[in-house]
Amino acid sequence: MPIRKAANKPEGNGDRGKQSPLSAALEDTVEQVRSRLGNSPDLVIRNYKSIINEVPIAALYINAITDKNLVDAFVEQAMAFEFPGEGVAIPSAPEDIYSYMKDKAVSTGKEKVIEDLNSLLEALLSGDTVLLVDGIAEALSGMTSGGESRAISEAATQVSIRGSKEAFTEGLGTNIALVRRRIKSPDLWLETMTVGRVTRTDMTMMYMHGLADEGAVQNLRDKLKAIDADSILESGYIEQLLEENRFSPFPTLYNTERPDSVAGNLLEGRIALLIDGTPFALILPATFFVFMHTVEDYYQRYDISTMIRVLRLICLVISLFGPAIFVAALNFHQEMIPTPLLINLASQREGVPFPTFIEALMMEFTFEIIREAGIRMPSPIGQTVSIIGGLVLGQAAVQAGIVSPAMVIVVSLTGICSFTTPAFNMALSIRVLRFGIMFAGAFMGLYGIAIVGLMLVAHMCSLRSLGVPYMSPIAPFAPGDQKDVLVRIPLHFMKTRPRLTRNKQGKRQPGPDAS
Amino acid sequence: MSSRWIRLLAALLAMSTALTGCYNSRELNELAIVSGIGIDLVPGKQEYKVSFQIVNPNSTPTTVSPGSGLPAIIVISATDDTVFGALRKASKRATRQLFFAHAQMVAIGEPLARQGINHVFDIFERSHELRLNSAVLVARDTSAEALLKLLSPIESISTLGIVNKVRNTSNVWGENRTIDVFEIISEIAGVGEITVNGLRIPGDPEEGSKKSSLEQSGFKGGNIMSGLAVLKDGKLIGWMDGSEARGTQWVLNRINETSVNVDVPGSSAKAAVNIFHSRTNVKVKLIEEVPVFHVSIHEEGIVNEAGGFIDFSIKETRDQLEEELKARTIEEVRQAVERAQGMKSDIFNFGNELKRTHPQDWEKVKDRWDSVFAKGKLDLHVESYIRSTGMRTKTYTNPEQ
Repeated sequence: MPIRKAANKPEGNGDRGKQSPLSAALEDTVEQVRSRLGNSPDLVIRNYKSIINEVPIAALYINAITDKNLVDAFVEQAMAFEFPGEGVAIPSAPEDIYSYMKDKAVSTGKEKVIEDLNSLLEALLSGDTVLLVDGIAEALSGMTSGGESRAISEAATQVSIRGSKEAFTEGLGTNIALVRRRIKSPDLWLETMTVGRVTRTDMTMMYMHGLADEGAVQNLRDKLKAIDADSILESGYIEQLLEENRFSPFPTLYNTERPDSVAGNLLEGRIALLIDGTPFALILPATFFVFMHTVEDYYQRYDISTMIRVLRLICLVISLFGPAIFVAALNFHQEMIPTPLLINLASQREGVPFPTFIEALMMEFTFEIIREAGIRMPSPIGQTVSIIGGLVLGQAAVQAGIVSPAMVIVVSLTGICSFTTPAFNMALSIRVLRFGIMFAGAFMGLYGIAIVGLMLVAHMCSLRSLGVPYMSPIAPFAPGDQKDVLVRIPLHFMKTRPRLTRNKQGKRQPGPDAS
Repeated sequence: MSSRWIRLLAALLAMSTALTGCYNSRELNELAIVSGIGIDLVPGKQEYKVSFQIVNPNSTPTTVSPGSGLPAIIVISATDDTVFGALRKASKRATRQLFFAHAQMVAIGEPLARQGINHVFDIFERSHELRLNSAVLVARDTSAEALLKLLSPIESISTLGIVNKVRNTSNVWGENRTIDVFEIISEIAGVGEITVNGLRIPGDPEEGSKKSSLEQSGFKGGNIMSGLAVLKDGKLIGWMDGSEARGTQWVLNRINETSVNVDVPGSSAKAAVNIFHSRTNVKVKLIEEVPVFHVSIHEEGIVNEAGGFIDFSIKETRDQLEEELKARTIEEVRQAVERAQGMKSDIFNFGNELKRTHPQDWEKVKDRWDSVFAKGKLDLHVESYIRSTGMRTKTYTNPEQ
């Protein structure tokens, strides 16, 4: 599904940004295009002659990014000539032929007229087919973009047991369609723009008109317009360029490859950004708890969802503080540990040649190596990594007396807990922060952990995502929004939208809100 | 505004760094975990011999490796004029830094207990290294060191076993109660006298500290709870055993559960009554310079065993049994009070009760309370109930048998 681009700008984009009008001579134009593309072999130039008067016509397109059938259909449509009835003048001059073709092409609904070289190149590189008529300083372009693209498949990073199995693909049009199919409302508004001076990447901003805060939409629109980067290869570029606090370890934009997640967030008044070439859509404003929720929380029953949400938060705390507390307790607060457990731990540590902190650091480091290797390895070798990592390193290290078994337990528990965080980028942040907290725990015990924890909380409370406080609705506390933070109350009672997105239409369901 | 708050917060945090207590990073395998402390008197000298039971982590059965086969505990001792001096002097013997936070118990040798323990516990309150919740016991007829050296078969750390033993026997038998350092100190500081659990070595102490003593099913080593040491002015003046000890706990309202054997009416057989609930109220009044101790006990029990034929379906039988139970309880409490009066030692805290409820009367007698206490009258009321006769009423035997 091709997208009509907003005809707003190639303003000042590109280093050769001068508006150079097309030449009337066909040969010249073709030669110009060819030289600008560096004689690229995938530029196809089909030469035709008009049936009447044999005016030279050329069709230009780029091979792999166009759909051959569409190209043929477009050219055929534009060049097919029907003899008009008696008494009507047959177009014979190039101007007449051109305007005849234009009228014919217009009927396809996908054409536009190009008057300068840069626009022509841009059209070509977006997959359009350009028709040039000798003697006319204009070109006709038709949307013929196509070529190979990945089919819609299951989400790889945000798997759910229950819920849609469709995930976004790399095609922007496909992705928009996936969302549109879920929200069949005229209020789902889209704005398309092009970012990246070189890559000219298409990007669509989506929001529910009347639900999303107008100020936030305008704010985001301004920010997007202000982006001046030469390349946007993935939504991660946009994410980093939009972040308000560049040095915070916490992500302030949520990314998802699930259309149902996007739809759900749009309906809560958030704004989505879809970027061509990546299956990851961006959602903002994103508060901390958005990263802790999954779409499945709403598909499963409320009690189960609530339990799982609480479990996730506990796991987050363990993965952040687990090894730090273990090291602190063993090095500073031995009196806190129950006597039988202390004796047990002491007997495990007997003969371990490293200090507890070094031991913990070593194991954490090893774990991170295994994890990173597991991601990068080709999947058949991935198994080998897990065997070497789990069995050889874990088991053998304990048997060799290099690390204590309790440490292996703590590190593995921490590792497993970090996988329960639904948002991968949040899990990454926690992973990094864990080391800092471990240092604090090793140097100052629980006191250090408390100080770093306090600093972390203070920092998180100071963050904002598109104007919304990061820790909302806990800080600032919004009593009405507690229905969908730590717990999820039954859908029957979930009658209002979260307040902090400042949406105008508060009600989801008729009737008074329970909370 | 916000930066001001941040600055304020930073300042507060910076200040709090100076306000924390002491902490110290110590690796677990640089510590010697002390599981028990024993304090003895060096004969003929005014010196303490302090013994430490240290856990040997290498040989605890929790290790992944099979263990070194050595005993799980090691006892080292040091003598000095002060307890703390001995604590530090022990570093000459121990290979690691002694770590006292997990000391389960403090054993006092009997000779030291007889000489007086009033000043032994100062270090427990003053030093941050020692704990106030360690149990206190008196090593009866033996030294605290010998007690610590004993090996025990099930609990490889014997002091852990002793603490469990005190708790269990207090719960189901009722002659003892858990007494920790904190309680001892508050009793010493208060008006009354103290009783401390006694622990005796029934066998040969030397044999009991050898590993070979463990390698037999008929275990002869170990230690046994043995009565209550009565301390007057911090000095041991006598022991209360058996029913006297239990009578004491009864007056102190420390009976959780116990078993009383009562005579089966019309037979020479005994029935075992399991007391599962007991509540004691104490009031003390001074009438013409003679204190009257109003002690009322409410106890409820279950018949758990009948040694002869009893038909519990007859109400009179149950009433008779309740009367018997009541008589036994009165007997035990009377014994305990008489014994304490004989020793002129107010181990029941009657003095404190009088001071609390009748301060003017207390002022009159406080200087000679010991002798006044000894002349006091016991006004004992016991209500005994048998709530259940277990899972059957009649005994399976016939009345003729």
